[in-house]
Amino acid sequence: MTAPTGAPAPVARPAGPGTEASLAEDLDAYRLALRDHLRTEPALESFRGRRYPSTEARMADHARLERLLHDAGWSRYGWPATVGGLGGDERHRAVLYDELAAAGLPVPGQHMLLETLGPPIVRFAPELAAAYLPAYLRGEEWWGQGFSEPEAGSDLASLRCRARRDGDTYAVTGQKLWTSHGATATRLVCLVRTGTPESRHRGLSMIMIDVDSPGVTVRPIAMANGDNELAEVFFDDVVVPTSRLIGAEGQGWAVAMYLLQFERAMYAWLSAAEALRRLRELRGQLAARAAGGRPVPDGAAARLGEAYAHLVALRARSAGTVRRLAVGDTVGPEASVDKVLLATAEICLHDVARDLLGDEFLFAAEGAAGGNALAAGTVEAAQWRTDWWFSRSATILGGSAEVQRTILADHVLGLPKEAKP
Amino acid sequence: MTPMTRTTTGLDAQTAELLTGSLRKMLADNPDGSGLGDTLAELGWDEVLADDRPGATTLLFVEHGRALATSRVLDEVLLAELAPSLPAPGTGPRAPFYPLGTAAPVAPDAPLAGLLLGGLDGVAEVVVPVALDGQVGLSLVPADLVAAATRPAGGFDPASRWLLVDGPVAELTRYAGSEDGSRVWDRAVAVGRLAVAAEIIGVCAAALAIAVEHTSARVQYGRQIATFQAVRHRLSEAHVAIESARSVLAAAWKALEHPDGGSGAARLAKLRAGWAQAEVMRHALQVCGAMGLSLEHPLHRHVSRAAALDALLGGHRALTGQLGAELLTGAELDPIVEI
Ligand SMILES: Cc1cc2nc3c(=O)[nH]c(=O)nc-3n(C[C@H](O)[C@H](O)[C@H](O)COP(=O)(O)OP(=O)(O)OC[C@H]3O[C@@H](n4cnc5c(N)ncnc54)[C@H](O)[C@@H]3O)c2cc1C
Repeated sequence: MTAPTGAPAPVARPAGPGTEASLAEDLDAYRLALRDHLRTEPALESFRGRRYPSTEARMADHARLERLLHDAGWSRYGWPATVGGLGGDERHRAVLYDELAAAGLPVPGQHMLLETLGPPIVRFAPELAAAYLPAYLRGEEWWGQGFSEPEAGSDLASLRCRARRDGDTYAVTGQKLWTSHGATATRLVCLVRTGTPESRHRGLSMIMIDVDSPGVTVRPIAMANGDNELAEVFFDDVVVPTSRLIGAEGQGWAVAMYLLQFERAMYAWLSAAEALRRLRELRGQLAARAAGGRPVPDGAAARLGEAYAHLVALRARSAGTVRRLAVGDTVGPEASVDKVLLATAEICLHDVARDLLGDEFLFAAEGAAGGNALAAGTVEAAQWRTDWWFSRSATILGGSAEVQRTILADHVLGLPKEAKP
Repeated sequence: MTPMTRTTTGLDAQTAELLTGSLRKMLADNPDGSGLGDTLAELGWDEVLADDRPGATTLLFVEHGRALATSRVLDEVLLAELAPSLPAPGTGPRAPFYPLGTAAPVAPDAPLAGLLLGGLDGVAEVVVPVALDGQVGLSLVPADLVAAATRPAGGFDPASRWLLVDGPVAELTRYAGSEDGSRVWDRAVAVGRLAVAAEIIGVCAAALAIAVEHTSARVQYGRQIATFQAVRHRLSEAHVAIESARSVLAAAWKALEHPDGGSGAARLAKLRAGWAQAEVMRHALQVCGAMGLSLEHPLHRHVSRAAALDALLGGHRALTGQLGAELLTGAELDPIVEI
């Protein structure tokens, strides 16, 4: 057994040979040792309750957090040794997110796409995974997911970004849109068309493209909250080796379907863990206000209770799905239930925060200062405003609320198909 | 019929299917639940319960709900929890009293407001939880004293056969086993809530099946109405509501294994089932059109039963308010579910 590289092993971890193997095997031991580390490690303190002026600043600081978690070994569980992991399965990753949130720490923003892009690369492109995932786990780089295009949103199979094959390389030309973390990501995992324009999902391939390749242009896109959460990416005859394929040429749709299981299940669990932390913070903020003589509005109890109940329902559902992924089950169209519950819980939580914080959420008068807390606004309220905009994407990204309901109607309830126009 | 063989780690799929089949047939033939006790005995139910209480209880109550059955099998679930701290029944069978609202124990000097699952004929004593200085006392009230305050519950679900207890009842102060009464009553409520949650899920699943069948058969504008997206999406939402209630129910059974409680999880399971029935019935009624509102169509019986069951051991609105008030005053946000 080699020791994790970099920093010394965390104090809480039982020392001695075989430790990593035992934590990889014993989820409860992993959980308890991790919990202890997160509560006691002084280097983590600066990440608690931290607010950032921009997505770029947040990603940079979260990369530091990733590095700390990696060097202490914790974020390496759940990944195979071939990609720099220490073994274990999806449940270890889920426990990491849960324990981070329970300890009042953020889940590094990079993990949203690590959960989405990591598993398909490990499965369909082991060599690429071995070459590049270790650096992702160390927080040295992160990637974007290039699926959506201006004319291909919900109807993903209509995408047009083209990869023309020429011997051992492709020339990629086209555009991707709404790439999360696109402003700072250094590699993009893109779904591109290698078949005829009419081939729909049969003519697609998945490929990894370095952002610093000649011909790639990235333009950040600010969300309504002002943060450059997204980007659009232009490809102009970008040369990409065929060795960068994830899965075979023409297999892109199958890889994307595999990927979607993780996007729907692991991302849902990760988001639920974070949301529970945010609900705890909201409760604390309301209590502090009440102590300062500003009672909570009428109906606050029922609203908080409802937000919490939605979150527990999401956790209950999502835990089962994570366990299924961990034993290698294929999670089919039922994962749309998880996605609908995630969206419901996210929207509810952020609406409750908006409504219960009320004026404080809505107003932050410029220039107001000093004792006038209402007029000056609070950093907490500013964070809720930022997050509220992001929460609206819960019913849009990764298959909209409508798309999920259609999947359930078609494949789970077995209703007669929707009439084609 | 011989008791089935089972693994000790829970019901296997084949056994569960056989049990489901037997119960479904029996309850379809006898929706008033008469003979349910005999059927359960034939199936070797005590042994099934010993092997896999969560699985067996869920299966039984889902079927009970699906059939809109009116047996008092829920009484047995509560009594099994309460019995160890009560004196051995001397004079005859007992029936638990179900307080309305959040199912809080009653104040000793207040009139009773709650439900019984059926008539008091043949019942000797009613078990009433009474609040005593922050503790719960279990009072054994002679049934004839309670009878005077009971009337058929009727109302929204006339088929329930429940009795409403509404009025002063003497001898509320005859306690038994008040020592650990709080713990025992909490536990009985928790297990009862899980059973009722399963029953609500059963009613909802049956209502959704009716709605799917109706919309797949009914033709308007030359198409089955289940091909209209607005209809399809409502049915999908109903499905999500049911599945989320099932997930919380399973998680709550797991939480109950911990010796130190699980009552918070059980409350959430009941709350989510109650919430699910509101969602499912709203959608099911809409997609069935006028037919679903008619007396001859079966849907209304599901709507009424689900609403009545929601009120049993704490309605989802009342429980949501109670839960939220606790959170506001600093209660821990229990994650309930771990990986
Ligand atoms: C915050 C955020 C991050 C994102 N990150 C990424 C990323 O990293 N990579 C990436 O590739 N993409 C990303 N996306 C894009 C996302 O996947 C798309 O927004 C999504 O697929 C929907 O496409 P669209 O926005 O073009 O909406 P449209 O497809 O134009 O849909 C608009 C509305 O019409 C409805 N609609 C569309 N078709 C139907 C139908 N058949 N039936 C009923 N209703 C329908 C939709 O449900 C929606 O309500 C992100 C989006 C957001 C908001």
